[in-house]
Amino acid sequence: MYIASVVVTICVNIVAVIGLALLTGYTGMFSLGHAGFMCIGAYVAVLLNKYFIVPYVFALILGGFASVLVSLIIGYPTLRNKLRGDYFAICMLGFGTVVRLILNNMNNPITNGALGITNIPKLTTLWSALLFMLVLVYFMWNFVNSQYGKNCVAIQQQEVAAEMMGVSIVRTKLLSLAISAFYCAVSGGILGFWLQYIAPATFSDTRSNDFLATLVTGGINSITGPLLASVFLTTMLEYLRFFANWRLVVYGLLFILIMRFLPEGIMGYKEFSLKNTIKFFKEFSQNKVKIMEKWMRFCAKLTKKTNNKERKL
Amino acid sequence: MNNSDNALKVNNLVIRFGGLYAIDNVNMHINKGEFVGLIGPNGAGKTTFFNSITGNLIPTEGTITYQGKSLIKKSPDKISHMGISRTFQNIRIFPKMTVLENVCLPIHSKPTYNLFSAMLGLPSVKNEDKRIQEKALDFLNRLGIEAYKDHQAGALSYGLQRRLEIARALAADLSLLLLDEPAAGMNNDECNELIELLHGIHKDFNLSIMLIEHHIDVVLKLCSRIYVLNLGKLLAEGAPHEIQSNPDVIRAYLGERRKKQ
Repeated sequence: MYIASVVVTICVNIVAVIGLALLTGYTGMFSLGHAGFMCIGAYVAVLLNKYFIVPYVFALILGGFASVLVSLIIGYPTLRNKLRGDYFAICMLGFGTVVRLILNNMNNPITNGALGITNIPKLTTLWSALLFMLVLVYFMWNFVNSQYGKNCVAIQQQEVAAEMMGVSIVRTKLLSLAISAFYCAVSGGILGFWLQYIAPATFSDTRSNDFLATLVTGGINSITGPLLASVFLTTMLEYLRFFANWRLVVYGLLFILIMRFLPEGIMGYKEFSLKNTIKFFKEFSQNKVKIMEKWMRFCAKLTKKTNNKERKL
Repeated sequence: MNNSDNALKVNNLVIRFGGLYAIDNVNMHINKGEFVGLIGPNGAGKTTFFNSITGNLIPTEGTITYQGKSLIKKSPDKISHMGISRTFQNIRIFPKMTVLENVCLPIHSKPTYNLFSAMLGLPSVKNEDKRIQEKALDFLNRLGIEAYKDHQAGALSYGLQRRLEIARALAADLSLLLLDEPAAGMNNDECNELIELLHGIHKDFNLSIMLIEHHIDVVLKLCSRIYVLNLGKLLAEGAPHEIQSNPDVIRAYLGERRKKQ
């Protein structure tokens, strides 16, 4: 049962991170508020199921579409005015917080304010979560490798040139925002039907930051990278539970190391495949001596540097 | 019709940044199938002029029409779909994409299939992608860089990146090509190669071309008509031999103080 809960958490994280990968990794727009979309998706799906007896799958999809609608409402004015980079991220941060605060202060018997909705039927099973995850990842894989995905990458790499070559910036960015909102909403729905309880606090800013951190660790412009990173980081989080608050320190250290040595992420601009892995190990075994020498030189350099500093001091 | 031989027509164009007149009351036209040069010292406003045609800058005053339609306040992607394409002074390729993907991009900038078939990965989508890749390969062939099609564009040498940019501009289904210093940083041999290439492209694709260039040989050999800009104002217009002997042009190139107003 414990294992199942970990696997479902992994699936939920993967769906959300893959959605964010399209927006941040491929289109190049940072967002700090995707938990807001997750929140909308979860609430809409759960309420539809509870009060209108909409079946599980349709509730999730309708929750997704509700989120898409909201994303278009917030995306159109911000993106049309060419809000980019940090400004867009801050805008989304505000959006995530607003969604949470509105739900916190809606004291009615339906959403229950800060107390949240309880007694949700447990409709998510291990298998349904896995199935949803696989289907959604497959769709995203196709999307990213299609013309639509290529247009997104073009915008991320060279926005001016992409526009000059005929890519509609507003439309393409809106599309990728809407799809990422859909993915996050579905992942929120899956989570809600698994936990049997959702409250505004479930979708705090920490969650958005976690998604972004997982994505950056996994690598931009890659699907398999963030996928592996969310598997790895979620399981690591479970292992580190014994450390209590120290786990955040380990987490932080990991990110610092990645930002220092692999700024594009572990799998930046690469995809994981059997062929690549075999190639990597072949090259590694052929150049074992060379790589070892390189490392030795690197270590020597490091020690030398510290020695110099000591001397100066 | 008068419009048909005036592909691009620019009337009384003014672009002002605060108090600075970057372009001051410029009139220009490019006839269909013409090769026009645009020269001038640094800071004359040549690239600004290009930016206003392609929609990056909104002019303060004046009109720009292409094939009888106004280009003012249109977004760059719409202008691109009207058949105007350009290269950049500082190369702007998509560095992490492959060479082939770079050239494919303008062909599918308006996706040719719908979103759902793309997500489902239908066979028709794969066929369509293959068709576009073959189309892009033709352009790479024409520019002689098909051997590099799977290389990462950012890893190419400078000259090849310039060629790639021209290939990408050609792929955009265009009728007017704006070239912003294609020969920058090239030596004599490379310049001659470029002249031959541009000459061929001009004929084969039946294009109107406007060329900004500092290598005066390139401009004199290619262009049938030359405009000279200086400090935002149109200084001279005429055939290459007229421009060469124009005293105003010579003075502008040797330098002149901006008049106090």
